[in-house]
Amino acid sequence: MSKEGSNRGLIILVVVLVVALVGAICVGAGLLLVFLGQPSVGPVAQATAVPGRTGVAPTRAPSTGGSGTTNQNALHLPGTGDPPTLDPALTSDAESAVYVVELFSGLVTLDQNLKVTADLAEKWSVSDDRKVYTFSIRKDAKFHDGRPVTAQDFKYSIERAANPATTSPTADTYLGDIVGVKEKLSRKASAVSGVTVVDDYTLQITIDAPKTYFLAKLTFPTAFVVDKNNVERGGRTWTDKPNGTGPFKLKEYVRGQRIILARNDNYHLEPKPKIEEIEFILGGGSFMTMYENGDLDAAYVGQTDIERVTDPASPLNKELTVYPELSTFFVVFNVRKPPFDDLKVRQAFAMAIDRQKIVDVVYRKIPILAESILPPGMPGYSDPQNKIKYDPAQAKKLLADSKYAGKLPEITWFTVGGGGASAENIQAMTAMLKENLGINISIQQTDWATFLGQLHDPANIQYQMFDTGWIADYADPQNFLEILFKTGSNENWGGYSNKQVDQLLEQAGLEKDSATRFKLYSQAEQQILADVPVLPMVFSRTYVLTKSYVKGAIYPPLIIPRLKYMSLSK
Amino acid sequence: MATFLARRLVWLPVVLFFVSILTFFLGLYGPGNPINIMVGLKANPETIERIKAEYGFDQPVYQQYFNYVFKAVQGDFGYGLVKYRDQPVGRIIAERLPVTIQLNIAALVVGVIVGIPLGLLAGLTRNSWFDYSVRFLSLIAVSIPLLFLLPFLTFIFSRRHDLVLNAANLQFAIGPFLPMVGGHWDGILSTKVLLPILIESLGIVAVLTRQMRAGIIETLGQDYVRTARAKGLRERMVLLRHAMRNALIPIATILTLSIGGLVEGSFLVENWFGIPGVGQLALDAFTAREYYIIMGITLIIAVAYVVANMAADLLYPILDPRIRSSK
Repeated sequence: MSKEGSNRGLIILVVVLVVALVGAICVGAGLLLVFLGQPSVGPVAQATAVPGRTGVAPTRAPSTGGSGTTNQNALHLPGTGDPPTLDPALTSDAESAVYVVELFSGLVTLDQNLKVTADLAEKWSVSDDRKVYTFSIRKDAKFHDGRPVTAQDFKYSIERAANPATTSPTADTYLGDIVGVKEKLSRKASAVSGVTVVDDYTLQITIDAPKTYFLAKLTFPTAFVVDKNNVERGGRTWTDKPNGTGPFKLKEYVRGQRIILARNDNYHLEPKPKIEEIEFILGGGSFMTMYENGDLDAAYVGQTDIERVTDPASPLNKELTVYPELSTFFVVFNVRKPPFDDLKVRQAFAMAIDRQKIVDVVYRKIPILAESILPPGMPGYSDPQNKIKYDPAQAKKLLADSKYAGKLPEITWFTVGGGGASAENIQAMTAMLKENLGINISIQQTDWATFLGQLHDPANIQYQMFDTGWIADYADPQNFLEILFKTGSNENWGGYSNKQVDQLLEQAGLEKDSATRFKLYSQAEQQILADVPVLPMVFSRTYVLTKSYVKGAIYPPLIIPRLKYMSLSK
Repeated sequence: MATFLARRLVWLPVVLFFVSILTFFLGLYGPGNPINIMVGLKANPETIERIKAEYGFDQPVYQQYFNYVFKAVQGDFGYGLVKYRDQPVGRIIAERLPVTIQLNIAALVVGVIVGIPLGLLAGLTRNSWFDYSVRFLSLIAVSIPLLFLLPFLTFIFSRRHDLVLNAANLQFAIGPFLPMVGGHWDGILSTKVLLPILIESLGIVAVLTRQMRAGIIETLGQDYVRTARAKGLRERMVLLRHAMRNALIPIATILTLSIGGLVEGSFLVENWFGIPGVGQLALDAFTAREYYIIMGITLIIAVAYVVANMAADLLYPILDPRIRSSK
């Protein structure tokens, strides 16, 4: 048999076959793409498709490691995947906010110390009843295309965010204090009555009650200014070419690959941005490897590398900085559900868990143990006087004294997850409860959408206990204590209610003097901790490596425009 | 031929109708809602209700379906809701589709190049040690689910065996020359996609090998082959003209139908290795309840199936004159 000959003929046949098949697939897919290449809303949108992307064919050709910028003085930073949106009014997540705060800006912003400071407003005054804010807008402030920013732009932007058709998930929370926003959101009014244009450079905002934290809310992207022409001509995809007022412009965005920001030379604030171009790598293998190869100028350290970089002998250790985050992770007890309606049961649970051991062993000391609700670094933070102690004997006694002694109902712990085994921290905690109190707790994993579905209906949460976290939106104790623990608050998931706490929180919300305010919040926090509606677990920390030639790199616990502080000295 | 094609094409809308109705209703009746994820942890019930109403999610499901179809026939396939807010679904999928198509074609080519010669040789050397080992290995490859194969083969290629293998650790495990972790697509010729392509092609290799072997054994025992040999044709011509051609007919069916298996494979392989293709997008879309993206992907897969089947039907008459004349 001559196999060689038969193989040659075979190859020809195979090639014909494959070509035919591949052709069929390509034609099919191609036709579909043509069908799916649907027209966008605005006239500009079609043309403004992200550079390098035509929407139909993969014309991009990222040859090397995806280094999109050819600028020698560019800074290369790790990104965290595609931001869901670059529209300030739609931004509710950190992935989007990190870019939005660099591209856009508002009346006020947060400085490096998280203090509210002037941005597009150069100054403002507050009326005697503390309900009317009058902002003077900087005359030198310009959009990226050079057009000056006026009070009309702010009125447009706030009304756009409050327009129900914009579907902003944050308008209620961040603009809801402004008179007329609620009416606009519910379609009862066409304009927001609390926002008045006095003249081109003067804007007046009226809020419904004196609220100390109102200015802090205006630092959030929801209140940022957008360019009407840009939004209306761009249609739904207008953020492909955002015309903002921030320290950086969007130069290029290739989804899944990179975002390149370019310095805004007309930026109105000091410090002016120094680095010409900043490239965020959105995906691309191990950031640690890229950092060590010099492809990245900074990198977040993952669990796998923590030991390596914290070793003082490692050269990487000199480039490591550990930053606190303004976030607290905790276990919620649903006080409307037995057995957690009994304070003694909650106390027993809290005392039966050796949290320090969990931080040391399970979390490998990456975060720190949370003894309070407010994280350190938060204004108004104080080290609590009465800390929850690990005391199994006392826990057992409390449980025996509770009304559920000997007749404890079945308990299920809900947690977000979907793997074969639930998170180690929860396994460790339930094991401690089993050992110290003899309680069997079943763990129920649920997916994120279902979990949120429960939490979004706070009055009817079926979960007995679950774990979650809270990340600060603005640096004010109100953002944690009132939102999480005031009676009837949407995020008071456990249904906790204490009249004394409510009173303290209300008083603090109205108090003008910040020292007195913080004292009131601290009192409320002490009372909350004593009632154990939640068991604080950890405060997170960020581990970052930064090359020594990158100056002014800061990793603040809140998302603020931070790239303008950075410079390179290669 | 033209009437045949036309008849096939008439079925396309029918298939799409049933696929879309099934996907749409399953999605909307399932637990969770994209708006829950869109607003995140911090939102009040009024905001959620308002946004749901704005997107029409408060309407009866059949109404929503008709709205969707009404817009779809005009070329508006909806917009991303959570991770790709306000991006047209067509654009989102179009950005990912080339990656998946390249990957699948590569897997298909590897499958054909390896599978057909292997099966042919095994068939020609029937009951030899070579034949036995090919049969044994292909049986294993056909039987082992991809879900096991992925971590197993990754482990084999790993440079660090002390890690628990999961998506997060993958990049440390397989080292710099093989990983496709983290979503950076360097093109199909990059060495990074070697392992994913090999894994995805394994199933096709196994199926083709087995089919080719069985086919060649069967046709070589046929009367016409004996006749061909009897009239003194060279063995090479016998194989090429008579045996091979007939053995290849079922291969065409298998190849086209394996496109379905490839799509399924893309879901797993892309998610395991972090390849930014449609499979990864699909899983993202499922977990985020991105209804319109799910619909878009499902419809594309349905169309791909129909087109592939049509391609197989068109290939038959080319490979087999009997079908041509009977038409």
